[in-house]
Amino acid sequence: MANCILAKIGQLRFLPATNLLQPYRTTTSKHYNPKFKKLRKEKFLKINLHDYNEDIDNLPEEKVRQKMKERGLLPTRPWNDRPFYVSATGGVFEAYIPPEGDGKASIVSTTRAKQTVELLEKKSKSMMAIRKVKSFDEDFDTKEFCRIAQDIYVKAHESLVNNDRHALRTHVTEKAYPEFRHNSFGKTIRWKFLESLEPPRVVHARCTDVISKENIFGQITVRFHTRQQLSVYDRFGRLLHGSEILAKDVLEYVVFEKHLSNVYGNWRVHGKIIPDWAPPKDPSKLTRLMPEEKTVVPEKTDSEETPVVPDK
Amino acid sequence: MNQLLKNIYLATFRINTTQNLHTTIPVTAWSKSDVPKSFLKFNKKIYPPQDPSEEPRPAYVCHQKTNFKYSPDKLWYIASFVRGMTVDEAIKQLSFVNKKGAGLVKEAILEAQELAVTKHNVEFRSNLWIAESFSGKGVVIKGIRRHARGRLGEVRYQYSHYFVRLEEGKPPVDYYKRNPLTPQEQLDKWLEQMRKRKITNSF
Repeated sequence: MANCILAKIGQLRFLPATNLLQPYRTTTSKHYNPKFKKLRKEKFLKINLHDYNEDIDNLPEEKVRQKMKERGLLPTRPWNDRPFYVSATGGVFEAYIPPEGDGKASIVSTTRAKQTVELLEKKSKSMMAIRKVKSFDEDFDTKEFCRIAQDIYVKAHESLVNNDRHALRTHVTEKAYPEFRHNSFGKTIRWKFLESLEPPRVVHARCTDVISKENIFGQITVRFHTRQQLSVYDRFGRLLHGSEILAKDVLEYVVFEKHLSNVYGNWRVHGKIIPDWAPPKDPSKLTRLMPEEKTVVPEKTDSEETPVVPDK
Repeated sequence: MNQLLKNIYLATFRINTTQNLHTTIPVTAWSKSDVPKSFLKFNKKIYPPQDPSEEPRPAYVCHQKTNFKYSPDKLWYIASFVRGMTVDEAIKQLSFVNKKGAGLVKEAILEAQELAVTKHNVEFRSNLWIAESFSGKGVVIKGIRRHARGRLGEVRYQYSHYFVRLEEGKPPVDYYKRNPLTPQEQLDKWLEQMRKRKITNSF
C-alpha cells in the first residue's frame, strides 16, 4: 500500500507550488547549465556521415554536379557507342508468307487465289537464291539441307532446355538468341522432339548483300511438321505451361541463315514465321490479379528503333 | 551513366572516410561494393519440377535493405517482432511502433511484397507471411571523441542491414511456440508421463 500511486500523489501537497511548474531533470551525468552543452558537443570530432541509400538516379542534375564538384570529379564520357554485329542480319528479308491453311484452303477464297499467283513469282526467286548459295557452297543440296536443318533445330532447342548458352550460340544467330532466351530465366523447360510427321522441306530462299556487294547472307525457310512435347515450370517447380503427357502437332516455318561470304559460316536458326492464320496461343496456366487501371498519361511519340542492319 | 556516377561517388566517399594513403580516384571507380549478396542468391535457386499430385511448393522472395544509419542491435528487436506475422498484420503493427527502424522494416516488407507479385509468381499480395526477418551489421565508421587528460575515445557510427523473406501461404499458428499446449493437452501429457513411470528392478 505504501507504493500506491495515491500515496505518492498525496504527498505532493507538502511540496511548494512552484516546484511543480519548474522542469526537473532526471539526467545527473550532465551539467545542469546548458552553456556547457556546446562544449560537450565539441568533444566529438565532426564527420560527415554518408547516406548509402540516397537515390542518386533521381537527384536533380544540379545536385549531382554539386556533389561531383565537392569531390573534384570530372563527368564521365557519355556512352554513345552502338554495338552491332556483322555476322548476322537484323531481320528476315522478304519473309515467306505461308499460304492460307498451309496450302489446303479452298481455291475459291480470294486470298488463296492471290497467293497462288504470287507463289509462281516467288518460286523463281527462290531458285535463283538457291543457285547463289550453291555458288558458295558446292555441296549444297536441298534434300540434304532439310536433314541438317532439322538437326540444327533440335540441337538449338536442346541447348536451350539444358541452359547451355555456348552451345545455343552455335545453333542460333545473334538476332534469334534473345528471342530464344526471352522469358526463360529461372524456368525449367522440358521439351521433347518426338517425331517428324512430314519430311521437312525448303519453301523459300533468299540472298542479300549487306554494306558491300560481296558480303552476302543467305536465308532459307524450312517447313517443319513435327510432334513435340513441352512443359515449362517456374522457379518453384510449378507447372506454368504445357503438359508432361500431352504431345502436340507443330507446324512451323523456321528461317535459317548463313553468312555465305564467310568461309566458316554456318547455317543457324534465325527466326520463325508466324502466319496470320495460326491458331491463338494457349492461355497461361498462371493466374494473376488484374492490375488496377492507371490513369492514362498521353504518351510521347518515340522515334522507332531502327534495326542495326537494314532489312532488304 | 547515372550508375557510373553512383559508383564513382560511392568510391570517393570510401576514400574520404577511410583515410587512404593514395588519393587517386580512377581505379576505385570500379571498386567492389560491400553490400551483402549471399541472401539474395536464394532468389535464383531453381527447384525441380513437381508432379501434379504433389502440393504446389509455396513461392518465396528474399529481400534486403542495406547500409542504413541505424543500430543493428536496435533493429533486431523490430526484426524479431514481425517474424511469423502475415504481411498485412506486420505492416499494421509496425505503423504503431515509434522507432526509426520500424519505418525501414515496413518499407522493406512492402518492397518485398511488390517483388513477390511482379517477379515471383505470387498471385495475391496479402497471401504472404514473414518467414525470416533478421538484422545484420553494415558499415561501421569510427569517429573520435575527446576525453580528459588528452585521451581519446572511439565512437562507432553503425550502419545496419535488414533481411526479410516472405513466403506464400498462411503463417504457422504459433511461430514462437509461446503457448504450445492447451490445458487439456498439458493434462494429457502429464498423465502420460505418470503412466510411463517404471519402478526400477521390478517387472
